[in-house]
Amino acid sequence: MLRTGIALLATVGLVASLAACSEGGRVKEPEREAGTAGDNSGYTIAMVTHETPGDSFWDIVRAGAEQAAQNAGIELKYSNDPDAGKQATLIQNAVDSKVDGIATTLVTPEALAGPVKSAADAGIPIVGLNAGIEDYQRLGADMYFGSDETRAGEAAGERLASEGAQHPLCVIHQAGSVSLEARCAGVAKGVPATENLQVNGADDAAVTATLQAKLAQDPSIDYIVSLGAPIAADAIKAKDASGSSAKLVTFDLNQEAAQAIQDGEIEFSIDQQPYMQGFMAITSLYLAVKNGNDLGGGEAVLTGPSFVDSENIEQILPFVQNGTR
Amino acid sequence: MTSTQEDLVSSTPGLDGYLSRRLFARPEIGATAAAVVILIFFLLAAPAFRSGDSFLTVLYQSSTIGIVAIGVGLLMIGGEFDLSAGVIVTTAGLANSMFCWWFGIDLWVGALLSLALCLLIGFVNGYLVMRTGIPSFLITLGTFFVLQGANLGITKAVTGSVTSPDISQMDGYGRLGNVFSSSFEIGGVTVWGTVIWWLAFAALAVWVLQRTRTGNWVFAVGGGQDSARAVGVPVVRTKIGLFMTVSFLGWFVGMHTLYRFNTLQAGNGVGNEFLYIIAAVVGGTLLTGGYGNVIGVAIGAFIFGMTSLGIVYAGWDPNWFKAFLGVMLLLAVLVNLYVKSLADSSRRGLL
Amino acid sequence: MQGVGKTYGPIRALQGIDLTVPAGRVTCVLGDNGAGKSTLIKIMSGLHAHTEGTFQVHGETLVFDSPRQALERGIATVYQDLAVVPLMEVWRNFFLGAELRHRSYPLAGLRIREMRRIADEELRKMGIAVQDINQPIGTLSGGQRQCVAIARAVYFGARVLILDEPTAALGVKQSGVVLKYTAAARDAGLGVVFITHNPHHAHLVGDHFIVLKRGRTELDSPRSEITLEDLTQQMAGGDELAALAHELRPSGTPTAPASEGTTE
Repeated sequence: MLRTGIALLATVGLVASLAACSEGGRVKEPEREAGTAGDNSGYTIAMVTHETPGDSFWDIVRAGAEQAAQNAGIELKYSNDPDAGKQATLIQNAVDSKVDGIATTLVTPEALAGPVKSAADAGIPIVGLNAGIEDYQRLGADMYFGSDETRAGEAAGERLASEGAQHPLCVIHQAGSVSLEARCAGVAKGVPATENLQVNGADDAAVTATLQAKLAQDPSIDYIVSLGAPIAADAIKAKDASGSSAKLVTFDLNQEAAQAIQDGEIEFSIDQQPYMQGFMAITSLYLAVKNGNDLGGGEAVLTGPSFVDSENIEQILPFVQNGTR
Repeated sequence: MTSTQEDLVSSTPGLDGYLSRRLFARPEIGATAAAVVILIFFLLAAPAFRSGDSFLTVLYQSSTIGIVAIGVGLLMIGGEFDLSAGVIVTTAGLANSMFCWWFGIDLWVGALLSLALCLLIGFVNGYLVMRTGIPSFLITLGTFFVLQGANLGITKAVTGSVTSPDISQMDGYGRLGNVFSSSFEIGGVTVWGTVIWWLAFAALAVWVLQRTRTGNWVFAVGGGQDSARAVGVPVVRTKIGLFMTVSFLGWFVGMHTLYRFNTLQAGNGVGNEFLYIIAAVVGGTLLTGGYGNVIGVAIGAFIFGMTSLGIVYAGWDPNWFKAFLGVMLLLAVLVNLYVKSLADSSRRGLL
Repeated sequence: MQGVGKTYGPIRALQGIDLTVPAGRVTCVLGDNGAGKSTLIKIMSGLHAHTEGTFQVHGETLVFDSPRQALERGIATVYQDLAVVPLMEVWRNFFLGAELRHRSYPLAGLRIREMRRIADEELRKMGIAVQDINQPIGTLSGGQRQCVAIARAVYFGARVLILDEPTAALGVKQSGVVLKYTAAARDAGLGVVFITHNPHHAHLVGDHFIVLKRGRTELDSPRSEITLEDLTQQMAGGDELAALAHELRPSGTPTAPASEGTTE
């Protein structure tokens, strides 16, 4: 009886001590301020994206959109589907439910042309974001906020060239993605010897092993260009494992990538500032509905490329940790 | 055909002749030959392939697929499928990291809780299949979607993003890292712990399947469930055990992925379930159950590792990656078939 | 077994069956499709529990709820189509469910060499010539597979052997082989329950005959009191057959439906 009691106490004590002593866990943050909600404007704005569930990039876009909606007292209806046909249906749903404005990505312009046109016909202001810079005006969208993937790639390529890159490796983590291909093509404009590598982005171990193999196969690779922040983390592992001295640059940011920039493991990141894309899309729609404004006469507004490197990381890191960059 | 052979099969020549032809070869013979052919092919085609480091990178890639493939192979020999085996790897890692992060507890506790969760998922898979009689293909397809959605939904709810929190600063990280994702140097080449674990699990599974009562039961429930039940084999227990084996091995690889990469993308792991099944099938496991062995499954995973990295070592256009992979796998299966027929006829010559 | 019955929900599959299985005797249970033979087997082998009557094994009243329980009490069943696992070796099939192990802890090694030797010896003892004890049992003929299953039951000390339509799917020659081993099992002192719808086969080996019809006992008679003709008549439905014979008379005389319907 006594022994059972002691054992029980010991167990409880152990669990309690374990529960108490671990570091690196969640920091109980104070509740975020409820924003500076101005008037409750009563507008409803729909946001439709081609987000594949599980991509941290869209968390940031959405965070920006939600903040903008909160600021202006807007009800935001977010929906997403990576399938072009289903995204078209989502836009049509928004049109049918007579929202006050629609913000949508235009990654597959032809598939979305129909519903975007029906929104324009119904007099609903529509804003493109993230993708579709070539097509948004033709489809009938009023404004566009996003980056130009080719131009972002070119900017990266120019910077690589100026740093003396000879043979960069551009890592495509999603087969057949137009925007990723455009980035690599842009890099190749800056450094013609750029080589592309296809990896399975859904499996970190596979990404690492494939990169390791590539670095062993071609020791002349001096720069690795990762097209997504999570892939950059795998690239660091692969670099360490293969003992390669190649330098690493990445597109986009997340906490680990920002930390790695600070630690000097990543040279720089080409950030397209997704928070701004979401925030500006909603805010501009609000102003268009409320005040009839348009920004820059409907010309595309570029949210990137913005370089994050050792120069400005100190300033940006807190924002990344906050989930807004 | 010798005359004795004819006597043996004379009664119902069609079916029995076919069965004997297929069965006389050992399951892994074809896969072994295919592996040798692919190995020689890449040794010739890819200079970068010819180094100890490259070989171990291939083994590493093979091990991350191969560990779960052992479980999936055993399960397929036992006559069932598990489509949730790919996402459970991610579920395991996410459960460990988020639980510890949220409650601020030691990672060891989280790892054990994650193990319990995975075993529970395996148990539920097995229990539902046995209880309802619905094909495991459908049940585990359901589990696959549930886990895929839960991975994303819970991660988003807990961390506010779809990436799990970084665990590298939490208590227990170092020791767990040593268990699940250590590496060491032998003769100047890096050997990953997972490769050793893979071989150890494979050896254990070979023993269990060929030399124990449990293994006998696995073959029996896959080859003739009703017959097995009639002679007193605990069919339900055996099959649930197999599902739990798969989820245990999925947990193990999940732990490796977590402790090697520190954070996990909640959407990862999808699609790997087919790689496990491919490894098992290339290794000679019968899709309908009751036949196969673990050595074959391990070689199947090795073939996958060689093919997927060999293309990179050869420096070929990456856009063709999947096509190369498909051709290689088809070739593996064909060589497999061919060698089996050779083995068969030589065996017949002896009889 | 006294007054045993079984209902599946509202359906009464079997009622009032009295059956005794003495050692060293072959009790034949005959019946047409749907007569309740399968239900009877399932009750005796432990696949289904009976819902009425009493079921005694060596004086002990029991209700089985798993085949394992039946096996533990020495009741072994050889099913027509699922006697063995075709892809497994002969010796593995022989010892399936009762494997010999070095120790009793989980994952203990099997005594493979010993099992091979015993399986080989036992099969020889029964007069079954298997070329290679390591060949998959699927390479044997249907009759041989049944024989291995019977030999297995005998070896494992079965005191009651239930044979479910052992000859139904077989040709004449193979049926003969199976009947031979049925007799061998009887001579080894087992109580055999031989379930069939072929009165000719039944009459060759049976010591006691029970004919089932629509879940009830139609006839219960020792061998000494019945002839093959009576048995055939009973099986075919007795009076119904006579009526049928009357109808068919102009075109010929009635024959026993000895070879009809080999599946159930």
